[in-house]
Amino acid sequence: MTDVLTPVLTDNWGTDRSWTLAAYEDRGGYAGLRKALAMAPPDVVEIVKGSNLRGRGGAGFPTGMKWGFIPQDNPNPKYLVVNADESEPGTCKDIPLMMASPHTLVEGVIISSYAIRANTAFIYVRGEVLHVIRRLQRAVQEAYLAGHLGKDIHGSGYDLDLIVHAGAGAYICGEETALLDSLEGRRGQPRLRPPFPAVAGLYASPTVINNVESIASVPSIMDRGAEWFSAMGTEKSKGFGIFSLSGHVANPGQFEAPLGITLRKLIELAGGMRDGHELKFWTPGGSSTPLLTAEHLDVPLDFEGVGAAGSMLGTRALQIFDETTCVVRAVLRWTEFYKHESCGKCTPCREGTWWLAQTLARLEQGHGSEADLDLLLDQCDNILGRSFCALGDGATSPISSSIAYFRDEYLAHFTHGGCPFDRQASTIFAKVEAHA
Amino acid sequence: MTTTPERTPEKSKETAPEKSDEVTLTIDGVEVSVPRNTLVIRAAERIGVQIPRFCDHPLLAPVGACRQCLVEVPDAGNGRPIPKPQASCTLTVAEGMVVNTQATSPVADKAQQGIMEFLLINHPLDCPVCDKGGECPLQNQAMSNGRGETRFTESKRVYPKPINISAQVLLDRERCVLCARCTRFSEQIAGDPFIALIERGALQQVGIYEKEPFESYFSGNTIQICPVGALTSSSYRFRSRPFDLVSTSSVAELDACGSAIRVDHRRGKVMRRLAGDDPEVNEEWITDKDRFAFSYATLEDRLTYPMVRDEETGELRAASWPEAFLVAARGLAAAREAGGVGVLTGGRLTAEDSYAYSKFARVVLGTNDIDFRARSHSAEEAEFLAANVVLGGPGSDPVTYADLESARSVVMVGLEPEDEAGTIFLRLRKTARGRHLPIYSIAPFTSRGLHKMSGTLIPTRPGDEAAALDALVNDGTVALDSGGLLLVGERTASVPGALAAVARLAATTGARIAWIPRRAGDRGALESGALPNLLPGGRPVADASARVDLATAWGVEHLPDTPGRDGAAIVAAAAAGELGGLVVAGVDPADLPDPVLARQAIEAADFIVSLEVRASEVTRAADVVFPVAPVTDRSGTFVNWEGRVRQFGKALHKPNSLPDLRVLSGIAEELGITLGFRTPEQVWAEMTQVGPWDGARAVFDHDVSDPGITLAEPGSSHADGSLVLASWKQLIDDGRMQDGADDMRLTARKPVVLVAADTLAELGATVGDTVILAGPLGSLELPIGVADLAAGTVWAPASAPGASVRHLVGPAGCAVTITGGAR
Amino acid sequence: MADSSEGKSLREQFWDPVAGFGVTFRTMFKKVVTEQYPFEKLPTAPRFHGRHQLNRWPDGLEKCIGCELCAWACPADAIYVEGASNVDVPDGSERFSPGERYGRVYQINYLRCILCGLCIEACPTRALTMTNEYELADNNREDLIYEKSDLLAPLLPGMEAPPHPMRLGEDEGDYYRGTLRRQDDNGATGAARSGGIA
Repeated sequence: MTDVLTPVLTDNWGTDRSWTLAAYEDRGGYAGLRKALAMAPPDVVEIVKGSNLRGRGGAGFPTGMKWGFIPQDNPNPKYLVVNADESEPGTCKDIPLMMASPHTLVEGVIISSYAIRANTAFIYVRGEVLHVIRRLQRAVQEAYLAGHLGKDIHGSGYDLDLIVHAGAGAYICGEETALLDSLEGRRGQPRLRPPFPAVAGLYASPTVINNVESIASVPSIMDRGAEWFSAMGTEKSKGFGIFSLSGHVANPGQFEAPLGITLRKLIELAGGMRDGHELKFWTPGGSSTPLLTAEHLDVPLDFEGVGAAGSMLGTRALQIFDETTCVVRAVLRWTEFYKHESCGKCTPCREGTWWLAQTLARLEQGHGSEADLDLLLDQCDNILGRSFCALGDGATSPISSSIAYFRDEYLAHFTHGGCPFDRQASTIFAKVEAHA
Repeated sequence: MTTTPERTPEKSKETAPEKSDEVTLTIDGVEVSVPRNTLVIRAAERIGVQIPRFCDHPLLAPVGACRQCLVEVPDAGNGRPIPKPQASCTLTVAEGMVVNTQATSPVADKAQQGIMEFLLINHPLDCPVCDKGGECPLQNQAMSNGRGETRFTESKRVYPKPINISAQVLLDRERCVLCARCTRFSEQIAGDPFIALIERGALQQVGIYEKEPFESYFSGNTIQICPVGALTSSSYRFRSRPFDLVSTSSVAELDACGSAIRVDHRRGKVMRRLAGDDPEVNEEWITDKDRFAFSYATLEDRLTYPMVRDEETGELRAASWPEAFLVAARGLAAAREAGGVGVLTGGRLTAEDSYAYSKFARVVLGTNDIDFRARSHSAEEAEFLAANVVLGGPGSDPVTYADLESARSVVMVGLEPEDEAGTIFLRLRKTARGRHLPIYSIAPFTSRGLHKMSGTLIPTRPGDEAAALDALVNDGTVALDSGGLLLVGERTASVPGALAAVARLAATTGARIAWIPRRAGDRGALESGALPNLLPGGRPVADASARVDLATAWGVEHLPDTPGRDGAAIVAAAAAGELGGLVVAGVDPADLPDPVLARQAIEAADFIVSLEVRASEVTRAADVVFPVAPVTDRSGTFVNWEGRVRQFGKALHKPNSLPDLRVLSGIAEELGITLGFRTPEQVWAEMTQVGPWDGARAVFDHDVSDPGITLAEPGSSHADGSLVLASWKQLIDDGRMQDGADDMRLTARKPVVLVAADTLAELGATVGDTVILAGPLGSLELPIGVADLAAGTVWAPASAPGASVRHLVGPAGCAVTITGGAR
Repeated sequence: MADSSEGKSLREQFWDPVAGFGVTFRTMFKKVVTEQYPFEKLPTAPRFHGRHQLNRWPDGLEKCIGCELCAWACPADAIYVEGASNVDVPDGSERFSPGERYGRVYQINYLRCILCGLCIEACPTRALTMTNEYELADNNREDLIYEKSDLLAPLLPGMEAPPHPMRLGEDEGDYYRGTLRRQDDNGATGAARSGGIA
């Protein structure tokens, strides 16, 4: 069972007090940093480029190429910002990583900052996860004490300050420019691009913004080499990634595997579906990615494979729903989330999510007709691609995909005069009640 | 319209776009060439395609928030299409780009209709009661680019409506489409970010910090640029509908900026004023004073008929126009013989009126005793104006607004542009933000306005301005040269030697001088010779050839050849009984350098003819009172600080409301003298005919040792521990022309006496304590604040509503004491 | 004369003059169609465009919101309106209509009005309707400019002359949507919520 897994980032999660510097170094931590500091910064960028590491935050942009965009002749300071504002429904990879092994991230930050010649780096952590923030802060403190951070790191002459910044609870701050605004002390709202952050990001200076998992993958690449990394995965999606399975599976959790693994395999690893139930639909990368169904069990989970299936790999947050779940209800919940989290800057997202949530709530109660589905799809069409950032697009994905796959179920709500599902049946305590 | 957004690094506007700077693209199948960096939405305007928009404004940085202006881009200029519809207000043109707007592209049309539908789902349908209804971009664009029928059956977002975000501005959050024009204006243009967007999602709204309402001097502009009826003015609330209004282009009469305005009136009553669009002057912005202070002309105390003093009762009684002309003519003729008549004209007069007074004084009264300066002034100033300002100064290159934007550096002295010339402030701030124009201010402390212009203070105690100016000659940091501008406020006149220092500095460094008065009529009065040493067209009184030239033009034998008394001297002479009479027009004695003496002069004068819009201290004491027309009832001309001629038309037709010049010609005719005009147009024609003086200019060689008025010893500390008062009038104050604009007055800055941190410590007071400020005229209780003032200096507003330091404590430069605080 | 009569036939001489009265004699025996106005007033057609009326809500508040759309629609420029702000003060002394705005001045000049009815089509609140009253004549011009007091509908039982607070709902939305509370039996002071729909 374990031979398909490639535990690298998750390798040390099981060790005793894995979050401490001692435990991390016991397992070879900070070896990548020493190798990197011995190299010239451009060489580090080249290695990451050579590894074909693609951004793990969802869009899959090549990390090395992103670093290469930083104009080194710009007189302003350069910044590295780690996007740890993980708040998408279903996504739960960065927070466990920072919880179990914050030093993996810290080491990655140091190497990455060195590569782009940044002397200040920020980790922007979602504000609600206080325990994670504390662990990160402690890890940064330990790193300072051990000389991994601060002035003249390990005699290399390289200085780096790392600041852990807690967000104030806004999903939109996961959008990189909104994150920068928030980090600068403004309201988190996306910025107009161009200028792109690589040219004028934080404090109008060149800035690299990377996902936690991307940065955390860097130390292992430095330690074991680009070839080792790119030997894993598929042709265009190299390396490994954390797949977070949640929902109606026997053993939900994080599974680190090479990109290109299938959901069938992952469900197998997770001990199969909930007893006596079968897969109905699932999200490949969190709630912003279009739903997939049981017919997509053998889609290779890499950027291209999921894209070909009409969805997006996203953050590999696989939410698994079995046949007891009402898709309308699930979609309504997500839509309410987007309505609550829309920043309000642009019209389609602000007003569109407000309307979508109301329409869906009405349909879920059985008030409506088939014409309302067309209205819903038209609303989605008016939001998708019209909004300022991707939040608006993400809000439409579950709706349009669910209508595409489960139109009959929507219609059943109208004929039934409400939700035809037993709400209890999909809950975790359903079995207990059934026996009672 | 400025087509280039502020944020993009722009080339100097003066350089005409060369061929290589042009980009050719195709919009709706029509090829158009526009300058590089032009936004698609404006390129489309060039071919007559109006793309609907809300957040876009040509003078604000693009934001792309409303998404109403979506267009389809089948070719981004690189041969590839942009897959999604693009916001044309943020998309810059590219060579070979192909754009299809709603006119030709079903995709763009559908996208725009979709956005409009979204905007309307949470917009209340209260157009019938909305002040914007009828001139509303949302209404208009919903008709042109929206669906006919709603598909929204669910519930709308509701808020209590409306709420006051200042005494003057009301916010209806239900109507707001969150385009952020108002917040961006406040931050980018005015520099008063008192409003901001708060909350998120559909609950996002414009908000204020509850302890700091939206009390910006420029808040009214947000009402005008609001594309819906979310921001409305409390004074215009429900007063009329757009289709009731008749609009007349006019010029703001409340400062010397010459801002273009639009006067909207209904049934002979002005309902509101809006900013006019004049890119060379005020762009699209005006101050709140220009916008809201217009009801002074319709108050109860407006004079509507002539009055003469009844010989029996000694009271003023109503008189017919012919009777009043006759009484005035006889009285003035007698006074002319009994010692002469002095003419005091104020700053509200148009250029035509000033010319008429100037001619009336010389031709009818036979005197040069005429002065328009109803404020601190000096003989030095009169000479400075004659030598360096009139007719645009000795060079042929007067300073303009465009020069403010292209200057290498700007030094201000005796000028607080945010309070005294709002349009100049906005231009300077725009340039300071855009290309970091270095701005220096010779002032007692860093005012909020200077801070907003990122300016540098040259800390100067009141009275030390001359020394500070002299020190700039060799200042390597300020580095004044021919690209530098010296903006000289009218307050500089109160400092002996300061204007001489200005002239010296300009001569040494090559910097150009711009004299910036506060009042709208001052520059016009200077040009038309309402000064003791100048005749119309900049002709020096002392120059015989100039006198002959003018006498010939006027067809008179000769003109009085000795320079006359200036304002202070006229007042002193009248008080001493030396003058036989006074002609006073639009002057408040309280504004004169010595208000006490001025009141004595009015009491003492044997015969006073007063020409006023409203009853005043002078009309009550006058022997003949003529009502004259406010600017709404007449046409005329103001000359702004640049020397730019700003003509305006008559808004209201009121046959009984006559301009000053018509009254003067009536009096003259009773005396058998024909002035040669009865209408402003005739005066203007005559002024054009007389023309500017092309002979030798007056030379500025004033003896600085002869101060016009007494001042506190400059630079010295007072033995009795008193402080020197620095003071000026703020934009919104107790001025008579702001009477009636009560809501606006409530947004005035709260009066506060500012001291240095050391002084505060010596007083043992803390910021916010009430202290007693005492000076030569009396004392006043004010809260205390702290600023970067020099030790021994204190600042207080000259004329805050209800706390007029100028009248209750003393003029700027006097010695004051502060008591109270914690002691 | 004699020459001329000689040439006429008997029929021309005797029958024709009498025949001329035929219509007169015939009509004498028919029902009279003359209307005895002003001694007898007959009802007009039910949708006759007569004098205007400014209607009230059941609690007496004015329906007119002073929006001036009637004035805008008027082809004869016969209507003059000035709006003003309703204010909610505890004693209700500054509320004349539900909502923010009411018509402070409302004049129709019947010297100009052509009774076309475009104004009532424009009215968004059905405040302005037309009655069947057609007696719009007077001996001077001034009295033919009808003021708001002349145009307002009479107070029916249960109505209370404004100004007074909104009795039938929380806000203007209740009035416009028809979700009104029932008037108290006591009439005007029906502030208690009875919960029913009027």
